[in-house]
Amino acid sequence: MRRLGITRRRLIVAVLVATICSVGAGYAASLGLGSNQLHAWSQTLTKGTCNQTSTTADDTYVQQALPTSTAGGTATTLTISPVAGAQDYAFIRFNLSGCSLPTTAGADSAVLTVRVTTAGSDTISLFPVTSSWSSSTLTWNGVPGLTIGSTATGTFSASTTGAKTVTVTADVDAAIKAGALWGWELRATSGTAIVAIGAAENGTSGNRPSMTLSYEK
Amino acid sequence: MKRLTRIFGIALTAALLSVGVASAASLGLNSGGLEAGSAAVNGCTSSSLTATRNVSNSGNVTQVNVTGVPQACAGQTLAVTLENSSHTSLGASSVIVGTCTGGCTVTVAGFGTVSAANLTAYALSITQ
Repeated sequence: MRRLGITRRRLIVAVLVATICSVGAGYAASLGLGSNQLHAWSQTLTKGTCNQTSTTADDTYVQQALPTSTAGGTATTLTISPVAGAQDYAFIRFNLSGCSLPTTAGADSAVLTVRVTTAGSDTISLFPVTSSWSSSTLTWNGVPGLTIGSTATGTFSASTTGAKTVTVTADVDAAIKAGALWGWELRATSGTAIVAIGAAENGTSGNRPSMTLSYEK
Repeated sequence: MKRLTRIFGIALTAALLSVGVASAASLGLNSGGLEAGSAAVNGCTSSSLTATRNVSNSGNVTQVNVTGVPQACAGQTLAVTLENSSHTSLGASSVIVGTCTGGCTVTVAGFGTVSAANLTAYALSITQ
């Protein structure tokens, strides 16, 4: 050993150096990152509200007994009936264009409010509509041509008059991303009574449909 | 001679230790977190990509969609952190970018229960 110039002292120093060097390399590796393979960025969101009233609402109801009638488009109340052979379905939507939301925006919260003006022991279910319609042209015969979700977004009991609220956040979020909100079909899914809710044309402002909307963009 | 050997050993140790530390520092990052913004990189992209999120009807984030991820990022890890107004993490998740044609839309899920109302920023990163 001594002939090769390796003394005990030199051996200790060499081991020490190797150990410390390994610690340094290990620290670099512990960051878990390659030095040239990283991209990081952030995106900040803006929050706001854009509540909807009857001025941006469009609504109607269609009648099985009068399958070509568009009278529901100007009615002051929207009739909902489960009666066989005389069913009535209501439709409500809001025009969100005034909110100036891009399709990259989204709803944080959305709650639809309707007011039952004629009560009955029915459960009313809201089914999302994702194709275009207008209250001035929609008829019973036109309903099969619409794209309507098969799963109810929410329900309310029409057994008492007054305001009823339904959370519709997911539907409105999807509608913002799609670029238009085509609203909901309101149908009685249980009960036998004929009920009514206030329309956007109702003479009492408190009876008209409305929707609170909190968004991000 | 003994003293010279000792001094030489100490000097060599210090020099090599510095090399180790310098290697870590050259990453330009603290181990505590990534910097935000569009950092210059030699990775698959240097663009600020766009993130959107979907919500459940109860208002919780169900997934984040990152659009325009270049095909060159396939196989790399896209990490997303949801932050509140104090830039505190509300939830985080990551996914390996798959192969696609053109700009990929990468979906990241598994953030736990995070209210969209509390979400005010996304922090995103792509690492190999």
